[in-house]
Amino acid sequence: MEKDMELNNHDKIGNSLEQDRAWAESLLNKQSLSELNASKTEAPIHYFESFPDKLMSRIANEKREKLEKKNAKIFFLPSFMQPMNRWAVAAAFIIIVGGSFIFLNNATYKKIESSMVASNINLQEISIEEIETYVDANEWIAEIDVQAQMQKENAKLSSLDEKQIEEIQKIITQ
Amino acid sequence: MASDQELIIQFQESINREANFTALLKKHQQKVYYQIKRIVTDHADADDIAQLVWIKIWDKLDGFKMESEFTTWLFRIAYNETLNYLQKQKKQGTSQSSSDLLDYENATASSDSPKSTEIQIGLDRAISQLPEKQKVVFMLRYYEGFDYEKISSIVGTTIGGAKANYHQAVKKVESFIKQL
Repeated sequence: MEKDMELNNHDKIGNSLEQDRAWAESLLNKQSLSELNASKTEAPIHYFESFPDKLMSRIANEKREKLEKKNAKIFFLPSFMQPMNRWAVAAAFIIIVGGSFIFLNNATYKKIESSMVASNINLQEISIEEIETYVDANEWIAEIDVQAQMQKENAKLSSLDEKQIEEIQKIITQ
Repeated sequence: MASDQELIIQFQESINREANFTALLKKHQQKVYYQIKRIVTDHADADDIAQLVWIKIWDKLDGFKMESEFTTWLFRIAYNETLNYLQKQKKQGTSQSSSDLLDYENATASSDSPKSTEIQIGLDRAISQLPEKQKVVFMLRYYEGFDYEKISSIVGTTIGGAKANYHQAVKKVESFIKQL
């Protein structure tokens, strides 16, 4: 019997707002329900007038705090450590290292290449005239070499004592 | 008076953002506050939650796509924020509902009609003991007159589920009052 009543009540749910309210008021007390609502929907005087200003100032404060936090982050992290800049720094580093590697490799390759060209020159193909002009042009190098040799010999002779000089003279005369 | 949709569009297009938001706030602040206060009872708590709700609205309004009514979205946020607040209070062990109820009972004890007061206290106590979802469904249906589709979107259930919650809430309150 009670179950049937409950099922009947359940059927009434959701037909219309008025029916739902009437069903609740038939089981509970209409006056108490409205009194309860009145007590629950009380707010301090001028609360709703002041609420928008209070809220907007709180929003502004939170905005400012967020901005300050953001700035503080920038202060503690050097600019090159910022997320976007980090990638730029890494890219620049790769470019510098990679570029210098390619450049150095290229330079040694060129050196090897030039030495290979030099070794391929056949002396027989060079004319005597060419050799003579080269020697004439570079004669001063040979002169410097001769002079250096002479100075060395002079230094050796000056360091000899009389006995040694006599011995040398004997050897020459023999 | 501009509609919710007009105010939101202007806000999203950055035309007088604060003015449009304030207009939206003034239009709905009372209902949001009352919905919260029916659950948490204490004004300071209700005020705190109401502020959190509107801050969230301010933050998320740019992304609101108007696929549902603004009030449905607003009340859903209010419902979730209230539940979060209550959960935090439970964790901290500072639930105020019982002390608030005592204050309320003391305040109404000197009322002129003792019989009415007794029923009212019983009703309040019974409603406060309902599970949060049933409580909110009852409040939104009985006091706010929302349809079940809207209520189901707010509390995150089906239309059938919302109807069942309303039915169970009324029956539980009735049986609690009968025991008094």
